[in-house]
Amino acid sequence: MAAASVAGPAANVFPFRDFRAAPDPVLEAGPVAHGPLPVPLVLDNGSFQARAGWACPGPDPGPEPRLQFRAVCARGRGGARGGAGPQVGNALGSLEPLRWMLRSPFDRNVPVNLELQELLLDYSFQHLGVSSQGCVDHPIVLTEAVCNPLYSRQMMSELLFECYGIPKVAYGIDSLFSFYHNKPKNLTSSGLIISSGYQCTHILPILEGRLDAKNCKRINLGGSQAAGYLQRLLQLKYPGHLAAITLSRMEEILHEHSYIAEDYVEELQKWRCPDYYENNVHKMQLPFSSKLLGSTLTSEEKQERRQQQLRRLQELNARRREEKLQLDQERLDRLLYVQELLEDGQMDQFHKALIELNMDSPEELQSYIQKLSSAVEQAKQKILQAEVNLEVDVVDSKPETPDLEQLEPSLEDVESINDFEPLFSEETPEVEKPVTTVQPVFNLAAYHQLFVGTERIRAPEIIFQPSLIGEEQAGIAETLQYILDRYPKDVQEMLVQNVFLTGGNMMYPGMKVRIEKELLEMRPFQSSFQVQLASNPVLDAWYGARDWALDHLEDSEVWITRKEYEEKGGEYFKEHCASNIYVPIRLPKQASRSSEAPASGKGSGASGGGAGE
Amino acid sequence: MEAMSENKMVPSDFSTGPMEKAAKPLPFKDPNFVHSGHGGAVAGKKNRTWKNLKQILAAERALPWQLNDPNYFSIDAPPSFKPAKKYSDVSGLLANYTDPQSKLRFSTIEEFSYIRRLPSDVVTGYLALRKATSIVP
Repeated sequence: MAAASVAGPAANVFPFRDFRAAPDPVLEAGPVAHGPLPVPLVLDNGSFQARAGWACPGPDPGPEPRLQFRAVCARGRGGARGGAGPQVGNALGSLEPLRWMLRSPFDRNVPVNLELQELLLDYSFQHLGVSSQGCVDHPIVLTEAVCNPLYSRQMMSELLFECYGIPKVAYGIDSLFSFYHNKPKNLTSSGLIISSGYQCTHILPILEGRLDAKNCKRINLGGSQAAGYLQRLLQLKYPGHLAAITLSRMEEILHEHSYIAEDYVEELQKWRCPDYYENNVHKMQLPFSSKLLGSTLTSEEKQERRQQQLRRLQELNARRREEKLQLDQERLDRLLYVQELLEDGQMDQFHKALIELNMDSPEELQSYIQKLSSAVEQAKQKILQAEVNLEVDVVDSKPETPDLEQLEPSLEDVESINDFEPLFSEETPEVEKPVTTVQPVFNLAAYHQLFVGTERIRAPEIIFQPSLIGEEQAGIAETLQYILDRYPKDVQEMLVQNVFLTGGNMMYPGMKVRIEKELLEMRPFQSSFQVQLASNPVLDAWYGARDWALDHLEDSEVWITRKEYEEKGGEYFKEHCASNIYVPIRLPKQASRSSEAPASGKGSGASGGGAGE
Repeated sequence: MEAMSENKMVPSDFSTGPMEKAAKPLPFKDPNFVHSGHGGAVAGKKNRTWKNLKQILAAERALPWQLNDPNYFSIDAPPSFKPAKKYSDVSGLLANYTDPQSKLRFSTIEEFSYIRRLPSDVVTGYLALRKATSIVP
């Protein structure tokens, strides 16, 4: 499959940027935030990124949201350090070293871990320069999931009202805010929103400016699944680079090098052709250090070192043998002396000596003497042999023949070199490789390249064909058709005249054309449709929410005040043009924690804030 | 003992400037706040973690929804009715053939020889990618 040769064109080689986020400064709120009326804070709470900023009234609609950071936090490295505490978002810098310690408050697109959500909110408020004492004195516009579970909204309201003491809050759906921002006349018209985010993709029909929630559909695939798919594809193709194929780099490939094919099958046919492949493959260059280059050049040095070690070992062994020989010799001499005592007939001294030596009879003495003398002989032999080997080693300096061959006769040497065996087994394969000096430079760079060919279209294709990843859900096209079929024909006609694409995962080149093609396939012959991509699919939700907040500052029918929260419970919210549909179901209020002391270190309390019951 | 959040110290301090790096009380928060969700309804030593989405949805199903009410699980997209196209595991091209030994799909002869030379963990990896791993070992 990797048909590209080493000497291919140097084009299409891209380095990884490996972006590292700079920590956000603690911004001053600025005079605009301390206006006569408390200025609303707009927070687009996304599972990928959280975007926060002030909704400043006045002539200037305002720049981008002041804060944009990844919605993750992690404790500092090296275990839980008491001082630093968990770091959030951009303060983490590069995400890769902490990949396994990253925690997000989101589970799919719903915030479930409100402690982490609290951290994110702390971070946002702190860096936006909220300085009010005792409470956050600004109304908040917050985005939530489509058909947000009541429990999660209850928890979120509790966090906002009880912990931060905000005066009023409004919940909205990010794609609706984006929709109204792009076409203000949408407030009264109908349309179909296809919104694809990090964790899931929604298809939302809008009728007369209001969300038709019971016909919405959600496909549980988004940018994160595409990144995961791409990562596993590349890891399976390049098992040697497992660690270097990180999720951040995958996101980089998706954002910059991937596109959506207008006709998937046709595009694949194009990729079969080797020329097309050559011209369009993107070779991602992994960073590599040329230290590897250095190590292969010094393999000779390594062999030298090995020989030195061998020699040292042999010398050591020789010395040991000599010492042993000496000891044995002395002992032998003593025994011989004792034997002479016997022969001379000095029985008393002989017996005394025997007792000293711990022996019982002259025969034992004799046998012992024999054993010792044979050992001494053998030792002398081995020393002679070792000396011969040493000389042979010195003479024979060919680096390629494994030195172990010459050590075979001297088994003792081999035994003591067993400690060094792992070292040898690693290095002997290198000995076989010819140490060339010119080729490695090119080989090394090409070895560290990832060839991203059809993966460029395969990874983003999962939202159109979830079967690529094994999901049973239908893709965007089929779900679109399913939704349209639930309406009468005239309503269908109205809806397809205003198809709107939003969300970060919609930013692939070729996405709009593909949606148009899918619509062409499913609509009746020669009917018309209109597809529009958001002007800024990522930030439009925030801009829309800000515009909405400014329009509805005075409107009390859309904000949930603290009083209403206490009366009607956390899951209560008020409908407005960009909100979910309200279903009047009361959730039982969660029992406030009893006086147990949990492990998180929070002290026991009489009642968790708010209504103590 | 007052209930405290993680990074709070003594609640009587409400200074805006950071006192120490260790525990800086954030002035706009209520330092006595305790999440009621943490620990869930059956509070106590056992149930200290947050509910994950599956648990939340399971609890939501039990609520008295009407037939036409939209809620989180009712807007899940339906499964696909059209038969899925088969693509090669290795290259992504349209796959007409399947290797009977490893169940991987391939489209050309070169891919077949590549597949036959793969180590078993890579084969399992490709199958897992498609959620086609078999239960029988």
